[in-house]
Amino acid sequence: MRLPKFNYLGPKTLDEALDLLDTYKDDAKILAGGTDLLVRMKKGLLKPKVLISLKALNELSYIKKQSGFIKIGARTPLADIIDSDLIQKEAKALFQACKKIGAISIQHFRGTIGGNILQDNRCHHYNQSDFHRSGRQACHKDGGKICYAREEADRCNSTCQSDGATALMALGADITLVSKSNERTIDLADFYTTDGIMPHACESNELLKEIIIPVFGAHSSYQRLAYRSAIDYPIVCAGVLLKPSLKNEIAEARIVVGAMGRSPLFLAQISSSLKGKKLNDTIAFKKAADASMDSSATFAVHNVGATLEYRCSMVSQMVFQALEQTAETIKA
Amino acid sequence: MEKIQITLNINDKSCEVMVYENDTLLEVLRDKLDLTGSKESCGEGACGSCTVHMDGKPVRSCLTLAMEAQGVKITTVEGLANGDELSDLQQSFIDHGAVQCGFCTPGMLMSADALLKENPRPDDKTIRKALAGNICRCTGYTKIVEAVAHAGNPKDHCLDCKSAK
Amino acid sequence: MSDYTIIGKRMPRVDSRAKVMGKAKFTADLKLPGMLVGKIKRSPYAHAKILNINTSKAMALPGVKAVVTGKDTEGIKWGVFAYTRDQEFIQTQKVRYIGDEVAGVAAVDEETAIKALDLIEVTYEELPAVFDPMAAMASQTELIHEDFPDNINIHVNIDTGHVDENFKKAHYIREDTFVASEESYFQAEPYAIAARFDHEDCLEVWMPNGGPHMKAKPLSNAFKIPLHKVKVRKIAIGGAFGGRSEICPVDYICALLAKKTKQPVKIEFTREENTIATRQGHSMITTHKTGVDKDGRVLARETTCYMDGGAYSSTGPIATSVPFLSMEQAYRMGSVRYNGYRIYTNKPIRGMIRTHGRGFACGLDTQLDMIAENLGIDPVEIRLKNSRQSGEYTSTKSYVDSCAMDETILKAVEKSGFKEKWGKLPPFHGIGIGTNSVQTGFPMGIRGGSQSFIKFNEDGEATVMSGVVDNGQGNDNMLVQIAAEELGLLPEDIHLVSADTETTSSDPGSYSQVSTFVGGQAVKNAAANCREKLFKVASKILKVAPETLAAANRMIFVKNDPEKSIPIRKVVRISLLNFTSVNAEGGYWPRVDMKREWVSNPYGQMCEAFSFGTTIVEVKVDPDTGQVEVMEVTAAQDVGYALNPLVLEGQFEGSIAMGGQGGMLTEYHEWKDGRCINTTMLDYKLPLACDMPPKINNIIVESIDPKGPYGAKEAGMSIAMSAAQGYSSAVSNAIGVYMDSFPLTPDKILAAIKEKKQ
Repeated sequence: MRLPKFNYLGPKTLDEALDLLDTYKDDAKILAGGTDLLVRMKKGLLKPKVLISLKALNELSYIKKQSGFIKIGARTPLADIIDSDLIQKEAKALFQACKKIGAISIQHFRGTIGGNILQDNRCHHYNQSDFHRSGRQACHKDGGKICYAREEADRCNSTCQSDGATALMALGADITLVSKSNERTIDLADFYTTDGIMPHACESNELLKEIIIPVFGAHSSYQRLAYRSAIDYPIVCAGVLLKPSLKNEIAEARIVVGAMGRSPLFLAQISSSLKGKKLNDTIAFKKAADASMDSSATFAVHNVGATLEYRCSMVSQMVFQALEQTAETIKA
Repeated sequence: MEKIQITLNINDKSCEVMVYENDTLLEVLRDKLDLTGSKESCGEGACGSCTVHMDGKPVRSCLTLAMEAQGVKITTVEGLANGDELSDLQQSFIDHGAVQCGFCTPGMLMSADALLKENPRPDDKTIRKALAGNICRCTGYTKIVEAVAHAGNPKDHCLDCKSAK
Repeated sequence: MSDYTIIGKRMPRVDSRAKVMGKAKFTADLKLPGMLVGKIKRSPYAHAKILNINTSKAMALPGVKAVVTGKDTEGIKWGVFAYTRDQEFIQTQKVRYIGDEVAGVAAVDEETAIKALDLIEVTYEELPAVFDPMAAMASQTELIHEDFPDNINIHVNIDTGHVDENFKKAHYIREDTFVASEESYFQAEPYAIAARFDHEDCLEVWMPNGGPHMKAKPLSNAFKIPLHKVKVRKIAIGGAFGGRSEICPVDYICALLAKKTKQPVKIEFTREENTIATRQGHSMITTHKTGVDKDGRVLARETTCYMDGGAYSSTGPIATSVPFLSMEQAYRMGSVRYNGYRIYTNKPIRGMIRTHGRGFACGLDTQLDMIAENLGIDPVEIRLKNSRQSGEYTSTKSYVDSCAMDETILKAVEKSGFKEKWGKLPPFHGIGIGTNSVQTGFPMGIRGGSQSFIKFNEDGEATVMSGVVDNGQGNDNMLVQIAAEELGLLPEDIHLVSADTETTSSDPGSYSQVSTFVGGQAVKNAAANCREKLFKVASKILKVAPETLAAANRMIFVKNDPEKSIPIRKVVRISLLNFTSVNAEGGYWPRVDMKREWVSNPYGQMCEAFSFGTTIVEVKVDPDTGQVEVMEVTAAQDVGYALNPLVLEGQFEGSIAMGGQGGMLTEYHEWKDGRCINTTMLDYKLPLACDMPPKINNIIVESIDPKGPYGAKEAGMSIAMSAAQGYSSAVSNAIGVYMDSFPLTPDKILAAIKEKKQ
């Protein structure tokens, strides 16, 4: 499959990259590992005039602990994250999520964490070849006015299937975006727009620089379901974080459900309902899991493989398993 | 659009080649350098048939721009043997019947070779995980897993290791 | 038990060295001087009239060398049988599925060819389309093919008589309906073809194929050139699984482009094209009504099957029959009535596939399990009560000679511990059994036999010529093994020339499971004739009677006095010096009933041998997610005789992956208005190394078929089929619900568990 034509730019420094991005803006796309971007380009979903490669920017590849935060450079390969003791210990959900992306043997050396959380939303009516998309009206995401996943829908219902995003949102991560003239750090949850067409709140001259995970004595877990053990996007996933109090009660909880809507869904109310609950309160976990299912079911459409009914019912399972596993880790 | 001259280090040889910026490494290997051992089966990074090594790590050459393959050591399936002398892994694939149609074989070998360099004695589960990015439609994987496990590590209980000796 | 030197041994395949070195050439690897890139323009509509095609803009694009449309085809239609010629190579009047061929281009490079496709302007008038076979039969809108009322493409009716009266005698009767969706081949190699007309105006083509001669004849017809002018060449093939048997439009289009441009043209399919524009497996709705006596013996059965055939006939008559045939071979039935309907829909074309008819076969076995439960007997017992025995005739009057069906059942049962486990496993942990039979060939008229030529070179090595093709299953090695055994040479002394229509004689092709039985036997006979000639010369030198001689390890020797010997090389040289030929030919034609025809006369000897297989599967189902973990698979097949256990095991294991693990758990197609949603390897869930069961037990059962070469017959296919049945049976057993919709995806399993709870 042939890639469409573009100019390849290989900046040597971050400043150079930001200069280029500022010049080309919407005409440019950032190339990190290419495992998501190049596939979309091959399918004709995207025809950028230039690709700005991060290949030379080793300065964006690091994992470090700094004053109570884990900081990860956006271009860090998934393989490095999986190999990191720090991540395994202090951000287990991210470790578990990264292990599930693509196939461990291959994507992980090129696929990057930044690329994973910036991967475009997916829909099995949209992520198709030019030929497949011809002979029918264009869908919302393809520049048209129709949705093949949900009849009469007035907007795009594509699904965010990023494993990394769901895990990081559960971990309460922030991200730093830089442009030629500005640098800003925002809550990852605010980065996802819930717009299926433009799912990321990223200006055209901005580049994802860093992911910041707070470390505050919490534990986490990430669970996902797919039809195959690798080379598969999740059909439903959940990231959970629990911080125990001294009395072994839940002091803080975060439940995030992924692959069920236009962005990962942080279920704030359900999360806070777990506050004060005991770590072995399975009934509370089950209740939270079922509530998570009910809240996320309204967002999902049948557009990523398995039946919608099945995916909805599995939300509860994934959340419950993630809660249980996190509680187990704390108890251990 | 102009062609650009780049230098690629492939199988320990330096190759100067004219490429378009949208050429993938796989296209350059197959179309310009006649290294057709690497295959295109899916073209979108799912099947693993195009797997090559970059600095010893397996990567999908169909999702790697030729421009991005400069400055690293590239190894393709053609570079696994030492002249006519096959590597232990290649020989093991033959001896254990791990090759059927052979289309996935080059990619499979590249993934397995990278694994064995990191871990010369992997167990069954580790091998299956390491090969999870390579799809084979013929073999059901059993013989491939065996071939990897017994490569350079012959087992007395294995009929095929025995007959190879 | 054998005293063969090479046959029966675990011999690594002769073709694998080139493959592990990356040297084996597949069609896409070919580069010919001046070669152009070809591309196909396909219909984006499921059903539409073609009003106009304007190619002038495409022709004007620099770099475009030729554009062809239906106007260039002279209206030629293709069909496997005279009565199924329903597909134009390039559509002129209307398109019938999303992917139908409307034009082809040849250009200097891929980018130009793709651009040219966009510049071809086709004006369509959309027609109402049907995507469901039942709806297609009831449809009042324009027929997909005007000569086929109710969109019924093929109707196969088989009736042994006495069905209704036997039902009346039955102790227990049940009727159940089973559905299965379409599946795809996903050969590792996407389809590709290269074609050129050489200096003698011969058409030379390379493509993955299930039988080169099956490709050559229609091309010769289409181009109105003699058969000897069509040279289908040998090339490495990346899998077929039944999907590459017949000619397809792209073969013709590529050759036509080569003819027009007078340059070689190569067309490589994308993965999507390979999925939608080659063949797919049929989806099926099957109703089995079975009546048994109180011991569980089947007295009467009535089966009705509706198959979604897609837009054209393809191998329709065969496809409509094979699921029934597998059933009638595997199981005795007092009487049976079968009605198989293949229905046209506006979906991609369906053909034969390795596990053809999973809905049919799994339904049948599921129903047997249900009946057994009702009668209070176990699944093994009911199979043994009805299993095919040697010396019997099938319902459609095929004599079954070698048959070790019971042995496959018993050995698989013993190895898997079925008796100890069945009914005694913990909840959501199950074990199941499937049994099936596959025909070693079918009547193919003029192309039913195979011939081989063998020539000796002066260095004592031999060149073997055979029309057999290797799709990846190891046929080349099989031929070399047989030739080496018979000639007394080593495998490395044999040079194989095969699958080339210029140098080899006609052969049935590999898609009917007869490569070993017919093609291998032809080589065996040719080699035996060669050997006879060698022995004649050697006997004069050694001064013994030819009958006392044997050959092995490059030597001819006296059987009772092996010291008395002479190198084959020497015998060859002496015969050349004495003006004596040691070259020979040999052939094999299976004795089948040539009057048997799929639709008009489905009775008579089908083929000379049948394989029988049993697969037992043990699974755990996660009751919370419906996901299935397969713990162990035991596969036993009566292969007649194992020519090469190493290769055979590979066939068994591959069959389990495709028929069971993929075919029954994850593989199916999804659709939206005739558009196939999951055409890629990302979206269509082929099993991976880590999805496969950690333990597979292969059991080779040998019945020594009296007609097969060394006693061999079909190998592997009845595992693919029975694996599907074993998987479905095991899952049903684990959850305590008999499943009737395949594949068994987690959503269906979970729904069944929930329903049972309520």
